[in-house]
Amino acid sequence: MAIKFTELEENILALAGGTLSESLTPYADIAEKAGTDEKTVIELLTRLKDEKIIRRFGATLRHQKAGYGANAMVAWCVKEDQDPMKIGEYMAKRPEISHCYLRTTYPEWKYNLYTMIHGKGPDDCKNVVKELESETGITDNCILRSLKELKKTSMKYFEFK
Amino acid sequence: MDAVDKNILGIIQSGFPIDPRPYAVIGKEVGINEDEALSRVCKLREDGVIRRLGANFGSRELGWRSTLCAAKVPEDKIEEFAAEVGRHKGVTHNYLRENEFNIWFTYIGPDWDNVCDTLQSITDKTGIKILNLPASTMFKIKVDFKMDSDSTEKK
Repeated sequence: MAIKFTELEENILALAGGTLSESLTPYADIAEKAGTDEKTVIELLTRLKDEKIIRRFGATLRHQKAGYGANAMVAWCVKEDQDPMKIGEYMAKRPEISHCYLRTTYPEWKYNLYTMIHGKGPDDCKNVVKELESETGITDNCILRSLKELKKTSMKYFEFK
Repeated sequence: MDAVDKNILGIIQSGFPIDPRPYAVIGKEVGINEDEALSRVCKLREDGVIRRLGANFGSRELGWRSTLCAAKVPEDKIEEFAAEVGRHKGVTHNYLRENEFNIWFTYIGPDWDNVCDTLQSITDKTGIKILNLPASTMFKIKVDFKMDSDSTEKK
């Protein structure tokens, strides 16, 4: 179940989960809008970061502009006797892979291991797939190239009231 | 973008200081003053290199549940299906992909019942079956990449 926060906390988190003001004192700005003091804001954010509820506090870059233009979601079919846990841990070590998960399968969809691979161009992603194929022996995969972005947004867990 | 900007990005991607004077902390680390640190960060935001500056919450750590969904949507129904899917706040990514399962989206909800109910409601409205593919093991989730270009190239 979702963790419950007070209304003041929700308001602080809604503001901190948006984008910081362009000032020397962004936390004092949040405090003023939420009707509290800077110390309360800093203590809440520090605690949630320590507890990993704030997974990361910082800048989100636009990958294309930082030189990482291409990405491919690659789904792999790793059979039980091929040790999916070991293969997943191995693939996750690659710096080009940002996400690596095992997921549920269905009779009509047998792929169980998912990797999001980033590169500067489409060839970079293909090369990573080729290398992983030869290193792991897993050749049954599906490159789910994106044709169109239909929606991309950050999740808003908190609303400012 | 010069070396100082790259150093700043390296610092603030993984950890923007939670301190009353964050730009003084950043400035000290990269060897510039507080005002210059702020103006450089403002410029990187203005140029669109930085998309957002703030907190990223962990959905699991907040007690929320997330999943990946796939659907086989006929060509002439893609627009309608994408609109119905996109209406939901919990849908953060939705892509048309090159596969028989051509629509892939993520959904985040406050609990598992909400996830299942929402996906069922989309199926009820559109008549399209959705594969619900929750993760059973997460080996890696990373959104910050090293700025050093060598780190992504095989040597």
